[in-house]
Amino acid sequence: MPPATKLHTLQQEEFDRLLTWLDPDAARAGLDYEEIRWRLIAILTSRGCRSPEEVADETIDRVARRVADIKDNYVGDKSLYFLGVMNNVHHEYLKRPSMPRLPDRDDDGDAKEQTHACLEKCLDHLAPNSRKLIERYYAADKRAKIDLRKRIAAEFGVGINTLRLRALRIREKLQTCIEQCVELETF
Amino acid sequence: MASNNGQFEQANSSGFPDEMIRRFLLGDLNATERPVFEQRLLVDDALAARVRLAELELADDYAYRQLSNAERELFTEKFLLSADRERKVRVSRSLRDHFAPAAVAGGSAAYINRLRAVFGVSQLAWRFAFAVVVLLLLFGAALLVIKEPRLARQITNSIVPRRRLAPSVPHEASHSNNTSAPEHQTTPSPMPVHDQTAASPLIVSVALLPMASSPGDATPWISLPKGVEDIARLQLAVKPDQLGPYRAELLTSERQPVLSGELIKAPDNGAQVNFDVPARLLKSGDYQIRLSRDNAGANENLGSYYFRVQ
Repeated sequence: MPPATKLHTLQQEEFDRLLTWLDPDAARAGLDYEEIRWRLIAILTSRGCRSPEEVADETIDRVARRVADIKDNYVGDKSLYFLGVMNNVHHEYLKRPSMPRLPDRDDDGDAKEQTHACLEKCLDHLAPNSRKLIERYYAADKRAKIDLRKRIAAEFGVGINTLRLRALRIREKLQTCIEQCVELETF
Repeated sequence: MASNNGQFEQANSSGFPDEMIRRFLLGDLNATERPVFEQRLLVDDALAARVRLAELELADDYAYRQLSNAERELFTEKFLLSADRERKVRVSRSLRDHFAPAAVAGGSAAYINRLRAVFGVSQLAWRFAFAVVVLLLLFGAALLVIKEPRLARQITNSIVPRRRLAPSVPHEASHSNNTSAPEHQTTPSPMPVHDQTAASPLIVSVALLPMASSPGDATPWISLPKGVEDIARLQLAVKPDQLGPYRAELLTSERQPVLSGELIKAPDNGAQVNFDVPARLLKSGDYQIRLSRDNAGANENLGSYYFRVQ
């Protein structure tokens, strides 16, 4: 990123204008913002970008600064505008001297303990059926997994793929719950 | 834009198979697939929802060690690049530790343990199998020795210096008319000198003393080797003053000539004459050797030697 660009700090007014452009409803606009950011990060990571969050945030900042100019005339899916800007930012990022990759961190002991504790709490928040399903779904190792999941699917009266989707949705809820729990525990 | 799980069930019709989503997450799409997928991901909520779940599933598979080596490499190089994904993997590990502690040891370790369980010597079945194998080997070796005497002799020769007791010989009484069993003097024959390499013929030696007549049951015997090149070495004892060269004639018990040898010389010690007979010329039965020498132009008979082929 050029230094001149980095020095530009996104103003609150620009950010608000971005959210309004995404959706006049503030709540939905916030969700849209998070979703776009996640998708940008997913794409950048898939491209092998070592700093996907940084490049995604820079992309959003640049779009926010341009919203005043484009909001009246832009036609089409707004997400695609982010993609075009992201390609430029990523291109600039690739021209920068590559930073040495930091060695992989060992799983921090405290974070691990916190995650375990939060998992227990979040499991308690699940509906009994969901908890039962997730406990059984994640119980088997590779060897027994296929057979076990067939049995679980039969018990729940669903197909294997439906079982997988149900389990992953519960898993997604657990992920969100655990991340919030850890954040609360940390602060 | 927000994730809509209600649309997720219809997502499989979006044209991107699960396998392609997985390759996207592992950074393994080709240049043609990538721009199409990226553009679709930004505008397709159903596809985005599938990618989210696939992301969690991939993190779980990593924690449960269910990825191939190539996938694990891509996972660490191309997937595990954001803090968000690190948090996902941390939760996956926590799930694994909580629900499947048996999988904590890891796939490879678990595999090794399973192998140990199957092939471990502590298993009664394997102990029994090992015992049977050992017994079979012993039985086979014994059978081989019995069925292949030549091999047995080779083994024996390579371990123990081969000595054969000299046949008994009557003392002076042997020249008498005494019909009782003669006393025997056992004289170990000297070690045969021969090449013991596998390619050289086998030499079986027997030491013989001159006798006036066949000693009957006391006749020294020889067990013949079976090879066409093998040799029966007949070591004929002579008096020190009976110098050579010698002439030897091998006869059957019916006095039929089998082989004769001329100008045979005694070894340096002069106490015996080695008469080598190709084993293939001998059959089971009794044989006689007449030994003589040229003494001042006259043929001097030095004695007869008797042996039996078994």
